[in-house]
Amino acid sequence: MLELGPIFRALLRQKVGAVLIALQIALTLSIMVNAIFMMQQRSEQMARPSGLDEANLFYLSNTVFGENYNHKAALDDDLRLIRGIPGVLDATQINAIPLSGGGWSMSLQNKAGEGENGIGVAVYMVDEHGINTLGVELIKGENFQSTDIEWRAASAVDWPARTMISQAMAESLFPGKWESALGQTVYINNNEPMQITGIIKTLQAPWNGWDGVERSMLVPYQLEGRNNRYLIRTEPGRRDELMPIIEKALAESDKNRIIRSVTSLEETRNESYRGHNALNKILMLVIVVLTLITAFGIVGLAMFSINRRRRQIGTRRALGATQLQVMRYFMLENLIISSLGVAIGVGAAIGLNIWLVSKFELKPLEPQLLLAGVVALYLVGQLAVLYPARKAAAIAPATATRSV
Amino acid sequence: MLAYYLRLAWISIRQSPGLSFLMVLAIGLGIGAAMTTVTVNYLMSANPIPHKSEQLFYVQLDSWDPHQPANENGDPPDQLTYRDATALLAAKKAYRQVIQAQIGAVVEPDNKDSLPFQVSGRANSADFFAMFDVPFLYGGGWSENADAEMQQVIVLSQGLNERLFGGKDSVGQKVKLAGDYYQVVGVMANWQPRPRFYDVTTGAFNEVEEFFLPFSHISTQKISRNGNTNCWKPSGEGYQAFLESECIWTQMWVELRNDSEKQQYLDFLNAYVSEQKKLGRFERPINNRLSDVMQWMQNQQVVAEDANLMMVLSLMFLLVCLLNTIGLLLAKFLSKAPQIGLRQALGASRQHLFAQYLTEAGCIGIAGGLLGLLLAWLGLQGISLLYGDEMKGLAQLDVAMVALAMLLALVSSLLAGLYPTWRACTVQPSQQLKSQ
Amino acid sequence: MLKMKQLGKVFHTGEVSTHALREVDLHVKEGDFVSVTGPSGSGKTTFLNIAGLLEVASCGEFLLDGDNVNLLSDSQRSKMRNQKIGFIFQGFNLIPELNLFDNVDVPLRYRGFDAKERKRRIEQQLELVGLASRMKHLPSQLSGGQQQRVAIARALATSPRFLLADEPTGNLDSQMAQSVMALLEEINRQGTTIIMVTHDHGLAQRAKRQIFIKDGRVSELTAVDGLHSASLHSVAPLPLHGQTADAPRVAGV
Repeated sequence: MLELGPIFRALLRQKVGAVLIALQIALTLSIMVNAIFMMQQRSEQMARPSGLDEANLFYLSNTVFGENYNHKAALDDDLRLIRGIPGVLDATQINAIPLSGGGWSMSLQNKAGEGENGIGVAVYMVDEHGINTLGVELIKGENFQSTDIEWRAASAVDWPARTMISQAMAESLFPGKWESALGQTVYINNNEPMQITGIIKTLQAPWNGWDGVERSMLVPYQLEGRNNRYLIRTEPGRRDELMPIIEKALAESDKNRIIRSVTSLEETRNESYRGHNALNKILMLVIVVLTLITAFGIVGLAMFSINRRRRQIGTRRALGATQLQVMRYFMLENLIISSLGVAIGVGAAIGLNIWLVSKFELKPLEPQLLLAGVVALYLVGQLAVLYPARKAAAIAPATATRSV
Repeated sequence: MLAYYLRLAWISIRQSPGLSFLMVLAIGLGIGAAMTTVTVNYLMSANPIPHKSEQLFYVQLDSWDPHQPANENGDPPDQLTYRDATALLAAKKAYRQVIQAQIGAVVEPDNKDSLPFQVSGRANSADFFAMFDVPFLYGGGWSENADAEMQQVIVLSQGLNERLFGGKDSVGQKVKLAGDYYQVVGVMANWQPRPRFYDVTTGAFNEVEEFFLPFSHISTQKISRNGNTNCWKPSGEGYQAFLESECIWTQMWVELRNDSEKQQYLDFLNAYVSEQKKLGRFERPINNRLSDVMQWMQNQQVVAEDANLMMVLSLMFLLVCLLNTIGLLLAKFLSKAPQIGLRQALGASRQHLFAQYLTEAGCIGIAGGLLGLLLAWLGLQGISLLYGDEMKGLAQLDVAMVALAMLLALVSSLLAGLYPTWRACTVQPSQQLKSQ
Repeated sequence: MLKMKQLGKVFHTGEVSTHALREVDLHVKEGDFVSVTGPSGSGKTTFLNIAGLLEVASCGEFLLDGDNVNLLSDSQRSKMRNQKIGFIFQGFNLIPELNLFDNVDVPLRYRGFDAKERKRRIEQQLELVGLASRMKHLPSQLSGGQQQRVAIARALATSPRFLLADEPTGNLDSQMAQSVMALLEEINRQGTTIIMVTHDHGLAQRAKRQIFIKDGRVSELTAVDGLHSASLHSVAPLPLHGQTADAPRVAGV
């Protein structure tokens, strides 16, 4: 440690180079830490379970164009057909698909009346097969009976008497006592009462960017309309094999409609989080390349400074410095520069984070991450300077007596 | 002299290939990253209709819930109710006006061998084509009469015309769509404004729809609507009640040729809302808006947040790369102090030396710029691969971007070279000439 | 052609001021061959730097062909260096990455000759020093004597009227040194004025005039009848080879 003083004074004589490296380290640290933080946030979002048996689910759109179509009869026929196909666990008609980005939302309130505080909730309209098809876990109450299922005309406005809601929705309606939600009456459309007859552990809304994504409700409805969707759950591992079979079976059973958009829930998840995935990959690349650039910058500058000081190093060696001492000199020099860099960098990282939080939808930085970034950059600096330092150590003492 | 400086730069660059490569790589990576994100942002924030974007205005009325605003920032809702849209259209107070909504339908080709298929469409009033300068291959739009009389007319996209009629002039032909026959009055030439400004509520970068028909058809409920519908108040039973409800799902644009027309139109909107207030509607304070195209794009945050975020990061990345280059150039130029002293002794003025070393920095910059372009191209390929359809048409370099990349590379390398060059030129010649 | 009046140079480093040159009066005429000797640290190099317009004097007057050099801008001095002065250094100072041709080319570029003229001069000068056949070689491929001959070719390429040599033979063995010296004498015979700093008294004595610098003061030794005896232009007795203390002031050369 005795050498710190001389190293520092030597650095002062070539401060611009040192400051440039320090600034690079500072910027790298602030970008790195913030980028990793963004990646973490996105990864957390992606890791949230939808509550569904995603691996074995797929859905398709059924678009009817024939005149005077008997929607109700066709729906019964279709569902019977699908459920009868070997390998199919269950199927239901549904108005919206979790994670898909498109759906229906309403708001529920504890008390009837206009102006009461409503809580937004995603609406899934299903029949008594809904729970089993989605693969969600009913933790309280009972599933719909077939007798509960009502037929909803295209422009109907009223709502059935019962509903099942997700635990998160129950918690929002009855903070701190979600279990008590069972059996309670809540109001939709301000005044229409609905009784909560079941609570589902997890069922995500279709919009993954919504802050209420965990709030959802199931409503016992079958829909009339020219466009509707069937959600189908297969036995494990049979989804891909059954997708074309069911598409074909439905298309051939009735020529007055088209079956389209046969999509697995896995694809829907990928599509839904595509931006997240893409950004994470890009951020990862940015971090790696940035670190490499900074490391190469350190190597390049160290090599230059060593080449310029060849004679000096040779002289030191001639005067008795060991190879290790020469190496240590450059490692210590880098340590000083890195310290300056991370000192600026911590400030810059926090500053950047504050700015990003104010400008974009981001959360404030966690200190542990900052610390990890600091350690990482010290390591990068030391590793980068290792090669030039070894080169310096290899300079022969005889260099001192040789004219260049 | 430039040729001489270029030759000296080349010799110098060749003399330390590793270092030169590192500098070119640093600038290349910085420029590549910056250009990739700048290109995406540039295309996202492009003006889709530059010659008249300041004369086209998106109409917003605050018809929302008296108990809470439609948007937290107090902006009025982003669409109109059907009843307001049709009333404003009928008033015809603007130079041109269009109301519209996204729809979808099944087309049944006459050819029995072809299967029916689903197509995306738009229901819009007659002025749409003239207002937005829609190019036509054959025929044209329809008249106001066609709107009013709910005529069975249709405009096809080039793609749909290709699919249905093999690309021939199909004007006068009939298409069976949603169970009814519609007569083709026009076939659009290829048209894809980016952003697709006329309706950003259904995706600012989606494809233009495949067919267009008079807005009045929407009242028959035969055509299914595809866009967003938002209601703050339950509507009554039946489709007619829905049309008369407070649900918003219609968009309106007006063309106003100057400020006074705009002011008059705003006055008209305010008068309309005041009138409606008497009927018990519009319980919120008057909050009507006319936003021109670019204002509306900004209001709707057409440039994705992630795109902005990436641009910020990539510009910082470029900064790191430039710092890197400054450091390396500084080291390199300072190591040339003896030569610099010598050249001064041999008659080089500071200007000569400045030009020489700046030329070298510039050469590295240009090489970095070329590498950066290649990397930007790769980066954009990567982005379209990662984002898929979302980035369709948004990940391509155009001439302006290529020029910008080279300019950015040159300017940033010259900036990076400035300090090292200045340091090099202030070398005291006499100090450097002694034998070593 | 070169006139110094009461010229002085002071270096300031921190709080210490060093008088590198004091009250120098010197007149060098067209066609002179002046050798400069003196102990190390005496101010020889500073003298040469000022004479070569690489440094500016702190006080006094310096006229080169009648122009007061102290009043010129940096770029005017650069131009003057380029046009009137040639330099030869102890360390040869060839640019290592440039071949012989390009090294000799350097001052010609700043002179602004066209390509044909540059080529003619480079070839002519390299011919003169006997290295025309090695034009494409790099300096590192030559011996010390050859390198110095290239440096001389470079110094002469712009046809300067005035050649400054700083220990031109310092890095050469005696045989090489003799041949370089002969070359300089030949150049001087053809009309080029030469000022040469050296510590080799044998070589110094071969010059037409000898100047001695000590502690920043300049005095002159005169050669009489081919014998190199000390004689004095002014008052004080002249020390031989600077062993004695104060070198006398030389006035009115």
